[in-house]
Parts: sequence; C-alpha cells; structure tokens
Amino acid sequence: MAALDAQSAELEVREGVDRETIETVNAMAGKYKYGWETEIETEYAPKGLSEDIVRLISEKNGEPQWMLDWRLAAYERWLKMEEPRWAMLNYPEIDYQDQYYYAKPKSMDVKPKSLDEVDPKLLATYAKLGIPLKEQALLAGVEAPEGERRVAVDAVFDSVSVGTTFKAELAKAGVIFCSISEAVREHPELVQKYLGSVVPQSDNFFATLNSAVFSDGSFVYIPPGTKCPMELSTYFRINAENTGQFERTLIIADKGAYVSYLEGCTAPKRDTNQLHAAVVEIVILEDAEVKYSTVQNWYPGDENGKGGIYNFVTKRADCRGDRAKVMWTQVETGSAITWKYPSCILRGNDSQGEFYSIAIANNAQQADTGTKMIHLGKRTKSRIVSKGISAGRAQNTYRGLVSMHPKATDSRNYTQCDSLLIGDKCGAHTVPYIEVKNNSSRVEHEATTSKVDDDQLFYCRSRGMDEEEAVALVVNGFCREVLQALPMEFAMEAQSLVAISLEGSVG
Amino acid sequence: MLNINNLHVKLEEEDKVILKGVNLNIGPGEVHAIMGPNGSGKSTLSYVLSGRDGYEVTDGSASLEGAELLEMEPEERAAAGLFLAFQYPVEIPGVGNMTFLRTALNAQRKARGEEELSAGDFLKLVREKAKTLKIDADMLKRPVNVGFSGGEKKRNEILQMAVLEPKMCILDETDSGLDVDAMKLVSDGVNALRDGKRSFLVITHYQRLLDHIKPDVVHIMAAGRIIKTGGPELALEVENNGYADLLAEVQ
Amino acid sequence: MALPQAKQDALAARIAGLDLPQGGWLGAARSEALARLTAMGLPTKRDEYWRYTDPTLLTAPGACAAVFDDSDEPPVFDAIDRLKLVFTDGVFDAAASDNPALAGIEIERLALAGSADIHWAQGLYGVLETRGQNPVPRPLAALNSAFATDGILIRVTGKVAKPVSLIYRHKSDASDAILHHCIKLEAGAELTLLENGPAAARFLKVLEVEVGDGARFHHIRAQGRDHERLAATHIFARLGAEALFKSFTLTANGRMTRNDCVLELVGDDAKAHVAGAAMGDRSFHHDDTVFVTHAAERCESRQVFKKVLKNGAVGVFQGKILVKPGAQKTDGYQISQSLLLDDDSQFLAKPELEIYADDVKCSHGSTSGAIDETALYYLRSRGVPLKQAQSLLVLAFLAEAIAEIEDEAIADDIRGRLEGWLHRHES
Repeated sequence: MAALDAQSAELEVREGVDRETIETVNAMAGKYKYGWETEIETEYAPKGLSEDIVRLISEKNGEPQWMLDWRLAAYERWLKMEEPRWAMLNYPEIDYQDQYYYAKPKSMDVKPKSLDEVDPKLLATYAKLGIPLKEQALLAGVEAPEGERRVAVDAVFDSVSVGTTFKAELAKAGVIFCSISEAVREHPELVQKYLGSVVPQSDNFFATLNSAVFSDGSFVYIPPGTKCPMELSTYFRINAENTGQFERTLIIADKGAYVSYLEGCTAPKRDTNQLHAAVVEIVILEDAEVKYSTVQNWYPGDENGKGGIYNFVTKRADCRGDRAKVMWTQVETGSAITWKYPSCILRGNDSQGEFYSIAIANNAQQADTGTKMIHLGKRTKSRIVSKGISAGRAQNTYRGLVSMHPKATDSRNYTQCDSLLIGDKCGAHTVPYIEVKNNSSRVEHEATTSKVDDDQLFYCRSRGMDEEEAVALVVNGFCREVLQALPMEFAMEAQSLVAISLEGSVG
Repeated sequence: MLNINNLHVKLEEEDKVILKGVNLNIGPGEVHAIMGPNGSGKSTLSYVLSGRDGYEVTDGSASLEGAELLEMEPEERAAAGLFLAFQYPVEIPGVGNMTFLRTALNAQRKARGEEELSAGDFLKLVREKAKTLKIDADMLKRPVNVGFSGGEKKRNEILQMAVLEPKMCILDETDSGLDVDAMKLVSDGVNALRDGKRSFLVITHYQRLLDHIKPDVVHIMAAGRIIKTGGPELALEVENNGYADLLAEVQ
Repeated sequence: MALPQAKQDALAARIAGLDLPQGGWLGAARSEALARLTAMGLPTKRDEYWRYTDPTLLTAPGACAAVFDDSDEPPVFDAIDRLKLVFTDGVFDAAASDNPALAGIEIERLALAGSADIHWAQGLYGVLETRGQNPVPRPLAALNSAFATDGILIRVTGKVAKPVSLIYRHKSDASDAILHHCIKLEAGAELTLLENGPAAARFLKVLEVEVGDGARFHHIRAQGRDHERLAATHIFARLGAEALFKSFTLTANGRMTRNDCVLELVGDDAKAHVAGAAMGDRSFHHDDTVFVTHAAERCESRQVFKKVLKNGAVGVFQGKILVKPGAQKTDGYQISQSLLLDDDSQFLAKPELEIYADDVKCSHGSTSGAIDETALYYLRSRGVPLKQAQSLLVLAFLAEAIAEIEDEAIADDIRGRLEGWLHRHES
C-alpha cells in the first residue's frame, strides 16, 4: 500500500516537472553551480601515501588495532596491484604520491557533540548546497509541509563526517545511522562482521586503495522487521585542494528491514584533477529491501577538459537472504572520469536486483559505467535500464555483466540499454557480457543507439522552445523510466541536472 | 461423447484448488454452454481437458468416447478428436500458418492410421474452408497468429477447427474481443460444423454468443462447480439478472 | 614490448613443422605475416577476445586425430549447379575438380601463385588480414597468411553464371590443413561462393574478399556435421560503394569452431549481412566473433546469429559494430539468440556497439532461454507430437538466420539439412 501511495505521489510531481526543468535551466547562470569553495582552515596529513599515512588516518579516527591491521593488509596488497586499464577511459597516469589522503577542517579537531556545535561555516556550506543540516529540513528544491517527509543526513566534508541528523529519533526505532568512523568505535561487532564481506579487500585496485585509506563515510544498520522511519542520505563534499576523498559506506538491512538511501556529491571547480575512490557495501538479509539512489554531480572539469574529479567507485549489494531486494538508481552527471559498476549478487532464492542509470557525459567527460547482475539463487530476477547521453566530445560507455549460474534456475533478466548522441564529436558505446549457464532462465538484452530525434526537437521548437530547452525536454523524456525510479526529491534535482549538464551541447 | 466425472483440479505450483468436483456429460451432436463469473474455473476446465501443464488432477476423471483423456498427451487428445479454440491463441513467429496447419493435420491423420494429405489436396481443402471464414491468402502465409488482430486470431482458430474436423470442440470465450461482424462470421463458421454428430462445449461469460450458437443445454459454473443446469432460457436469465441471484440461490 | 617467454615458446612449438615458402611477392607477404604473428604471439584464454573460447586445441603444436562421421547422407549443395573446386587434406585436387574455366572469372591456385605475377592478388593477400588485426589481434589469421599450404585466388570481372563451390575432403584422420583464399570482385561483378565438407581434423582458414563498387558477393557455407573436428576460420572483407556482401554459415556439431568475420565498409551505401545458424550437441563449442566497421555513409550492416544447443553444448557470440567518426546515416543491426534445449548447455555473449557518429540507427538484441512452452502446448493441442513440435519450433527459431540466404534453392537445401539433423536427433 505504501509503495502505491509513493508511486502516485511521484506521478503528481512528474506532471509539472518538465516545465520545472525549463525554468531551472533559465534560472541557472553558471554551468556548474556547486563550483565555489568554502574558505576554511584545513588540516592535512603529509602528501603522498605510505604505511605511516595509513597509520595516521587510523589514529585520527581513534580506531582499534583490528581496524588498523585490516587497513595495513589492504595497503600491502595494493602495493602489488596494477591500475586497471580495460575501461574505455583515457586519462593521464595518476600520481598516487601527489595527493593528500587526509584533510579535515581545523574546527573539527574537537568532535562536536551536536549539530549546534558545528562550525557555522560548514553548516553554511551545506545550506548553500541545499542540504540544511537541521532536523526539520528536507533536501533542496522541494516545498513540503514541515515534518511530512524527512530525510536524515550524514554530511561528509573532505575526510570527515561533520554531523548526522535525526540520530536520536532513528535510534528509537533501533536504526543505527552514523559515520563509519563512529561505527568502528561504537559498533565494532557489526563492522567487523560485515566490512569487506561484500567488496573484499582484494576486489580491485581502487577498492583495495580505499580499504587502506578510507577516512570516513556512513554506516547504516536497520534491525530485523524495521522499516526505517525516514529516508537516509549522505552528502559528500570535496573542498580541499589536491585531496582525494575515499569514503566507505556500509549498509546492513537485517531480516525484513527496509531502507531508502540517498547519496549526493559535489566539489569546487579546480584546474587540477582530484581523485575519488569510494566503496559502498550493502548486505541484505532475508525479506529485506534496500533502495540506493545516487545523484553524482562531482565537478566535471571545464569545456576543455581541464580539471574535474576522477571517480573510481566500487558499489555492490549482496542479497544474502531469500526474497532480498535491492534497487540501484544512479544519475551520473558529474566527474571528468567515471568508473563505476553498482552490482547485485543475487544469492538468496527469489531475490531481486534492479539497476536504473542515467549517465550524461558532455564536453570532455568520459564515463564507463554499468552494472553486474550475478544470479546465484533460484528464481532470481534482475532488471537493467540504462540511459546514456553523450554530447560535446564526451565518451560514454555502458559496461555490464549478466551471469546466470547453473544453479540459478528459473531466473530472469531483462536489460534495456539506450544511448543518445548529441553532436558528431562524441561517442556512445555498449559492452555487455551475457553468460547463461542453465536453460530454464531467460535473458533478454536490448540496446539502441540513436541521435536526438529531429522531429521531436522541431515539434518542441515550433511550440516556442529554444534549442537547448527542446533538447533538455527530449532528453528528460528519454530518461523517464529511470527518473521515475528515483525518490521524489532526487527526481526533481536530477531533471534539472540533466538540463544543466547538457548546456552548451547544441548550436 | 465427453464425460466428466467429479473432476477436482488444483494448481501444480501452489495450493489453490480451482475445480471442486465438476460433472458434465455431453452426448454426440449436442451443444452445451458453460457460463459463469470470472474466476469460476471455466477456462481451467478447458485447459485441463486439452492437457496444458501446470494443473494437477487430484480426483475424478474425463473421457472422450470412452477413452480416458487425462492420461493422454495433448497431441493424443487432439488425434482422438478433441479441439480447443483458445481464448488467447499464441503467436508463433517463424512458423507459417499453412505449414502449421498441414503439420497438424497430417500428424493427426498419421496417428489415426490414415494417409497423409498431398500438398495439392491440402491446399484445396484449406482454401475452401478459408473462403467461408473470409480468411485471405495473406493471412495463411503469415506466421501463426503473428500480427493478427483479435478477430483474425479467432477466425484462425475456427479455420483450424474446420480443417482438423474434430469430434468434440471446446470454444473458450471465443466471443471475447470480437465486434458484431466478426462474431457473426465466427458463429457461422461454428454452425457450419454442426452436423448432428460433432459435439460442442461453448464457454462464455456473456449470453450474446449464444444468440448465434444456440445451445441445447446451459450450465452455470461458480467456484469450481457446476451449480445449475438448464435449457437456453437459463442463459437469458443470466443476461437479465446477472450471476448474483443464482449464486445466492445456491448458497 | 617483447613477448613473454611462455608465449614465444608456444609459438615456436606451433610453427616448428610448418613450411614458409620463400620468393616472389607471396614469399614477401608470408614473411610479413610471420613478423605480425611473432609480435602478437598465439592467443590464450586470458586474451579478451578468447575469454569464452579456450584456444588451446587450436594453438597446440599438432592436431589430434578426428573421428569423421561418414554417413551416407548426400552432401549439401548436391542439387545445385556449380563449379566444383575440391581440396583434399588441404591441397587442391585437380582431378576431383571441375575445369576452372568459366566466363567472367579467373581462378588460380595459391600453391602455384608464388612465382606468377598475379598483380591483383598482391594487393589482397594478407592485406585485408593485416587491416583486420586492429584493434583486435587475430594471430591465427596471421599464422595462416604465413604458412597457408594452398588456397584459391579468384578474380571476378563479370556476373558469374553459376556458383563456385569449394569442397573440402579428407583422407587422413589427423590432417591439419591451412588454406587461404582471396577473392577480388571488380566493380559491378557478382559471385556466389559455396563451401562445404569436413576439411580436416584441424582446419585453419582465411578468406579475404574485396568487394568492388557495386559488386555483389554471396557466401553460403555448411560446416561439417562431424563431431571430432576443430576449425578456426576467418573472413576479412572490404566493401566499396554500393557493394553487397552476404555470408551465411550453417554449423552442425564439431568439437570446436571459431568463426571470425571482419568486415569493413569503406564505400558509401554498402551493405553487409552476416548470419549463422548453429546446432550443437554434446561437446560442441561454437564461437561466432564478428567485427563490423562502418567507415562510410549510409551503409547497412546486419548480424543475425542463432544457436540451438543441447547436452552441454556451448555457444559463443562476440559481435561488434564500430561506427567511425563521419559514418553518418549508418544502420547497424545485430541479433544473437540461443535456444537451450536442456540445462547443461551454455550461451555466452558479448554484443558490442562502439559509435562515434551521431546520425545513426544501431541496435542489438540478445536473448537466451528454453523452448517456448506455450507454443509447444499450442502445437500439441492441434495434434502435433512433442518431438515434431519441438523440431518445428527449432526451425522457426533458426528461420530468421536462414532468411538471410537470397537464393531460394540454396536456402531450401540448408533447410533440408537442418530438418535432417533434427530428424536424426529426434530419436
């Protein structure tokens, strides 16, 4: 019933949204509206990566010995690994010694006990981003009566979490929502049990790096049979220069639990590239359900490809129990380089995984993103809907894997993967891997590539829209299925983002 | 012709009992109609008789001219003379309508120990039958039911019936999705096959089909049982008063 | 970058017994091919384009003896009027062949071409193969160009009255044949090429085809039904303006078949269709790897591949459409489907699109699953017995691929082949 209500609410919003998009486009002056910097005193660890830096990060977070040992093991392993180069991404070699691995606002030296104690400059930063760290607040862009829809926020600024809202109220429901550094200290039994159990230390070059140097991130635990009373969200902001952000998120939905989780990210405009290598692990037990939505809007670099975030992210959900469900929804509009494949391991019988993605690459952006659906349990179902938009000189690749294990009998996969090209200097690529090892499962994959429909554009323009408005409208239509999968607030933000990301793509 | 005795059926996959003791006897040349509200088990009865997977007979029996039906494979039932005109005929891309019909006809003839029909004789037979049903050459060439309209699919079912000449015809909601003209065409096709020996079981939700195909006996089915049996007047009663009164009466 | 020692050793072992004829233009082409091969090394399972097919048997120093199925079924294309050119154990067999004199066509033997001055072949032999090495290395093709023992060189200048039919035969159970054919269709020329027969225990073949402006090339091949047989074949074709290329392959059984097809559309308005129907039983491993490059405007390409697999057979499809910058109005279509008749069979696919032009229409689809139970029941309810109903649905499944054959008589012949196969396997 609740799901139905949510759906009809979404539909109502959608009606007016297209108009909204255009208004937003008109209202926006700059091309990247989150490109400003917060002037704040920052404390850095020495530049470069070494065992000492790993020890320092651990010490700064006040971690127990087991956590330090885990990090050091990862660091040892990482030293022997090679950076993967199979993606269709072209970027200069990253100098891992020319980065800061830890940066935190000086004012966070003494951990604030409550949000009231947080440096007003930091609070102002999030307010300006549209993420007010107040407990009656909502995400940006939505006018709703107070208290009707609430979202708890964990705000991560460079390497540290500056605060988490609604903690007390969530605690009443038994939900743990805090920074991962706090969880390591306060809930070691849960962290030790689940950390690295979905994305092992050895998983890949960037995940191993993250395992060694992650500084903060969010931790969520939803106890058995609990529907999280509000949506949870983490907002990542990179502020400091030459600093990598390595956050780690761990979400555990115990038997029969439900949570909807939102993630947002932005960074200032800078001429140099910055590294972001995150890991998100989700454990979903019997009958539990997790929805994970991302609007990734890291600074994409300028029109000439100068600057921007290198975004190398490993996200994976493990449906461990029967009938477990996970839904990934991502809107990838930012970053100079995106390397990201949120995946689902469908281990439990009758478990379900869904992946909805919009990836927009404009100017000199490059995106190589997709998903993996690993069907291990019987009667497991997965659905992939990917919409890629390329404009300018950008390269946009969908890369995915659907694997039907011999034991995953009577399973289903449906993949729809569409690419849209705007302009003749960009590229759109599709690289799916399909592996079917039993015959009672059905796998269907469809992909199309085409340009923005001239007739549709002409129709819009004949009704008075200029070319950019028309493109924004048509592209939003192209992305509709994915936008519909987003929670309401994100859907609206995503729609305006689609328009903004494509500015300058026509004419 | 068709004898159904105390038939109990449940879904194979779940514990849902659909038919709870159906009894029905149709003599040679008789036309029976089964009416009933949605979910009463009418379509299930037709599927079980024709041998579709997914149903489990827990009790009872069904026979065609004395031969035990439920033991047979679907194709054996067809060869024995049973024909089901489907409510939703399946589309089979890649298989031409003519190839399909000819394969079916010759398979049945072979099973009955009759000689296979030559290509020429077959063509003649189909053309003749198709003409009366206003099925054109194009429809015969296309893959089975692919891209057919609702009316075309139903006409195609009746064409198959006309070509295969079964003894016992079951029509499952053949009127659904038909406009007045198509209904007339289909009914005429069915009536042309009434020869005093061939029997019919017409499953329908509405009385209007029975204006065209006049039944000898009308059964009302509800909750997996036949709750009332009567003459054609019973259909009119349903048309005027709905099923509610009848259901209440039984309860 | 130097090749790792293990790769060098494997290559040395593979080519140890092979003869590299010297001299003339062909000798030079062979030496260049050997240089390409030495730079690449032989493929291994770790290579991206061999992830689903283990090349070990294809790259081993020797071929293992094969058991050929010499059933009395009449050979395919028997009823078609054609010019027959026979190769026995990888060597042209003049005695068994027709007189290669036909209007509009010049036919030469590769084994005798080295000393002859066949200027048109010089621009073709190993040339298309070289172009096809980038971006995906195809070492087995380079090996072929270097060491091919024989083959046929055909130049077509007009419309050839009947198909040229290459027939492969074997005498030895352990023959390890390397054949290399080149075909050049001059502007406006037309040729139908047929290929069939169990060539060898291990068969390595390259076919290079230059389709000139407005020329039309039809290729239909039936790969043997013999169970113990290894084959790695390559087609490299380049299409000029308004050229047409159509290739269809029927494969029934064989222990391992890898068919590479590399097409390059360089003239505007060219059309390339490549299709395959495969039916595999038991230890059958069948791999279609297709790479279509659109480098001109308004070209059309179609890839239609269907596989029916049972008893543990494995089907692989790797198909790619690459649309280069400026190749506007490209129409690219690709479908790969497999019908798995039982739980042990596998289908592994990687259908790729790489597109650098915006005004294009490209799509691909891939499906895998069991036979449609509803259709099966429908057929049975009309009296068609189970096995026959299954066969009917299998043929229907393969129909889209067979429809790519333009010549009706040849298409019927292929259909008959499939029916025969199904009939044999119904019991």
